[in-house]
Amino acid sequence: MSSALRRIGLAVLVVLIAFPLYWAVVASLTPEATLFREPSLWPRTVILDHYRALFTTRHFLVPIRNSIVVAGCTTLFCVTVGSLAAYALARLRFRGKGLILGFILAVSMFPQISIVSPLYLMLRALGLINSYPGLILPYLTFAMPLTVWLLVGYFRQLPPDLEEAALVDGASRWQSFTKVLLPLSVPGVATTAILTFIYSWNEFLFALSFTVGPDRQTVPVAIALFRGQYQVPWGEILAAAVVATVPVAAMVLLFQRRIVQGLTAGAVKG
Amino acid sequence: MSFVFVIVLLQVIASCAGEKDTRPVITYSGSAVGSQGETVRRQIARFQKLHPEIVVRVQPSPDDATQRHQLFVQWLNAHVGDPDVLELDVIWTSEFAAAGWILPLDSYAPASSEFFPAAIEANTWDHRLYAIPWYVGVGLLYWRTDLLDHAPRSLDELVRQAEQAMRGKDGPPYGFVWQGARYEGLITTFVEYLGAFGAEIMNDEGEVVVDTPQAIEALTFMGDEIIRNHVAPPEVLTWHEEETRFAFQNGNAVFMRNWPYAYSLLSDSSRSRVAGKFAVATMPAAPGGKSTSALGGAELAINAHGEHPDIAWKLIEYLTAPEQQLERAAATGDYPTRRALYDDPRLASALAVPLDQVRSAIESAVPRPVTPIYTELSGLLQVQLHRALTGQTSPADALHEAARQMKAVIRDSGLDERGALR
Amino acid sequence: MRRSNDSDARLARLLVAPAVGVIALVAIFPLGWTLWESLHRHDLRLPWLGQPFVGLGNYARLLHDARFWGALGHTAFFTIVSVALELVLGLIFALAMNRTYRGRGVVRVAVLVPWAIPTVVAALLWRFLFDSQAGIANALLVGSGIVDHPVVWFVHTATAWVPVILADVWKTTPFVALLLLAGLQNIDPALYEAAEVDGAGAWRQLTRITIPLLKPAILLVLIFRTLDAFRVFDLIYVLTGGGPGTSTEPIALYAFNTLLQNLRFGYGAAISVVIFAITFGLALLYIKGLGAGGAAGTEP
Repeated sequence: MSSALRRIGLAVLVVLIAFPLYWAVVASLTPEATLFREPSLWPRTVILDHYRALFTTRHFLVPIRNSIVVAGCTTLFCVTVGSLAAYALARLRFRGKGLILGFILAVSMFPQISIVSPLYLMLRALGLINSYPGLILPYLTFAMPLTVWLLVGYFRQLPPDLEEAALVDGASRWQSFTKVLLPLSVPGVATTAILTFIYSWNEFLFALSFTVGPDRQTVPVAIALFRGQYQVPWGEILAAAVVATVPVAAMVLLFQRRIVQGLTAGAVKG
Repeated sequence: MSFVFVIVLLQVIASCAGEKDTRPVITYSGSAVGSQGETVRRQIARFQKLHPEIVVRVQPSPDDATQRHQLFVQWLNAHVGDPDVLELDVIWTSEFAAAGWILPLDSYAPASSEFFPAAIEANTWDHRLYAIPWYVGVGLLYWRTDLLDHAPRSLDELVRQAEQAMRGKDGPPYGFVWQGARYEGLITTFVEYLGAFGAEIMNDEGEVVVDTPQAIEALTFMGDEIIRNHVAPPEVLTWHEEETRFAFQNGNAVFMRNWPYAYSLLSDSSRSRVAGKFAVATMPAAPGGKSTSALGGAELAINAHGEHPDIAWKLIEYLTAPEQQLERAAATGDYPTRRALYDDPRLASALAVPLDQVRSAIESAVPRPVTPIYTELSGLLQVQLHRALTGQTSPADALHEAARQMKAVIRDSGLDERGALR
Repeated sequence: MRRSNDSDARLARLLVAPAVGVIALVAIFPLGWTLWESLHRHDLRLPWLGQPFVGLGNYARLLHDARFWGALGHTAFFTIVSVALELVLGLIFALAMNRTYRGRGVVRVAVLVPWAIPTVVAALLWRFLFDSQAGIANALLVGSGIVDHPVVWFVHTATAWVPVILADVWKTTPFVALLLLAGLQNIDPALYEAAEVDGAGAWRQLTRITIPLLKPAILLVLIFRTLDAFRVFDLIYVLTGGGPGTSTEPIALYAFNTLLQNLRFGYGAAISVVIFAITFGLALLYIKGLGAGGAAGTEP
């Protein structure tokens, strides 16, 4: 396939993906009344009111901060603890591996709506309602399985030759893990971190149920609370969505170079 | 100078060493956005000034009915003490009362006769009053004064007027828009058609009568608006309140069925194309029935596990007092629930809508069945109504099936002995 | 060289303990509670009925519940179609992102941003796009002459699925693409070079080298996407509410209605357990089918 064709195909795909976002940006700059009247591909009148409202009446920076803290801590915790477990599950011999992997996966398979009630009771008993740990802990039920399974996959895929070589040279298991395997698996770890972060960023039901006030509510909950009894403030909601993608986009940009760091050529061959 | 400094220092020390705030704290949870939120906060602030020995906090909960219901259920089921005062949708009162989550108010001797009887009826379960009506919503017929010279006096006339206006030069594309998506709003629309044909969902004995011949006529008429006369666009089957409002606001409809909140938005000439070109009326009837509005609105109740029910009652009394209801009407357009206020000239100037029309709409308002399992019954009915309106089944089949399912659920619930109504 | 299996096993237990411990701590009570509830009749609205033990009674009722089976069917349909589409599209994206070219950073961010938008907002966006009057979809279709008059998407079952599936594909293909991209990174480029030398074209390289070597990544994608698609809730709730009628109602929405609208905790818990059982069963199937060399507990 010629590279020109490939470039065109890529451009088409990017346009298809970006179009709804483009439209969201346009809509967030349009007065509400015109929005429902005639749809148009570019803004006829541009107003910044929705964005202004976000940062004045809605204090939107607070939920953004909360989301960053919760998603960030969840990711950090899951990636560190998860990579330890993943190393053991991928490289070490011991009984009960399948059981442990199965248990970790099974936990995330219960629909969130069914575990929301008992989780609420539990968090209340621990006094964790409306706190950061009160969100991070429940998030572990879906973030940890994702992290562990992804990392086990990555570690398995890396050929064990280098680690074996290190072990032969007298290194301990721990050293071969930290000095050899981890540096090689940076792309995998970076990918896992991004996926876990975005997963946690997006989560709505737990955040709605376990927070009480604006000081701890996350972005999806804050946006849901924009609604009045019948009215949906489209302009502000879309503006909020646009603003909320900025931290995520920044994180992805930061990490994306790491993702595609390939295997250093020659390290394994020969 | 140093004398002043010492005084200030002493005061600072005194306040540091001062007692912890031991005043009782109660929390209110309900609408806290927009003009409703501003009004509530203002009134709560005034209440605090009148009662400096009490602290009142506002705990916002989502205005989306489903989300607020979910959160309330979660908190109340966990026997959480706050919020002490809850803003309930009118259809939740019997459910929460039966579950034991809100307190009966009879011991406080509320002045029930001062409120509209329909609203009191909607909040009474097992012969006891469980919530005070705070503001009332009724279904209204909005009609275009630039296209018609009088409001329709019957449903048939409505259809004829709509057809005529649509056919005219520059006629709008839609005749009549109403809420027809598969949600509670569909039932509020349906209830009005039912009443117009002399039918109801449940009778006073608690029996399901949604499949009587008159009810079938009502549903047939509703469906014909879409399928036969094309007076209502098929889109209404996916529309909630806002979509219908925008359709009417953009000048695309002759009639709209909606709640009072739309009135001030439609009158805003900076965004509405029909500002000054519409009016409201009560829903018309058909032969054999009478003009009926669905009763909506919000009620205030006391958390059964709250620590300070007496103080919570004081707040409820204050918020539902005539002065506060008038203030709210002026600020938000929410209709008061006290009958006497409708003779008060201050209300006439506070509301944009002519008072006599509002009063007759409220007096013709019909509550939906008052039973703890109402949400489930409503869900079953919604599905069947929707199937009939999309032409998947006939109205008769749909209603018979709905009645059958509803009766089964009622039988299952052990409610016959307690009475499914009240 | 003989390593001490005992010290390995001990280290392993130490390493696994934090992860398993934390999960167990958080999840044991909720899971146990759900199982417990599913064996009782518990209706919050009707406290006078008590909370009697009914054994498998709730499950038996489910077998006769037409709405439950309908919801399962809708969920299965949605899962199969969207996961298939996402896998294919995700692979295309991953292959495209795997190259070195200018602006690839921007492309990668652009591809991932849809996933970063809260589901509720994405659903609102797509609802807007497919609005019969104000939506761009109809504007394009009518404008280009493909249809005569605007399609009322959400009123008919067949057309209502279109925006639902499109919205889900749009939103989660990035997740699939990212997973597959990381898998692509692990394929030794020398294999492709050798294939070129042997005269294999792009398609053969794709089917003989890329896809087989991507099996572990595909397995992960299938497990997690199926898991999520089977429990889809927010998206459909905002887009169609489960309508028209109940024809787009997924099983998670039915569980939500049962639990938090109708307050039938016992019955809703039973539905949840069934959802769990089905997704777990599917995961096991995937692992058996694709698992050779996959992430399941086989020896390294």
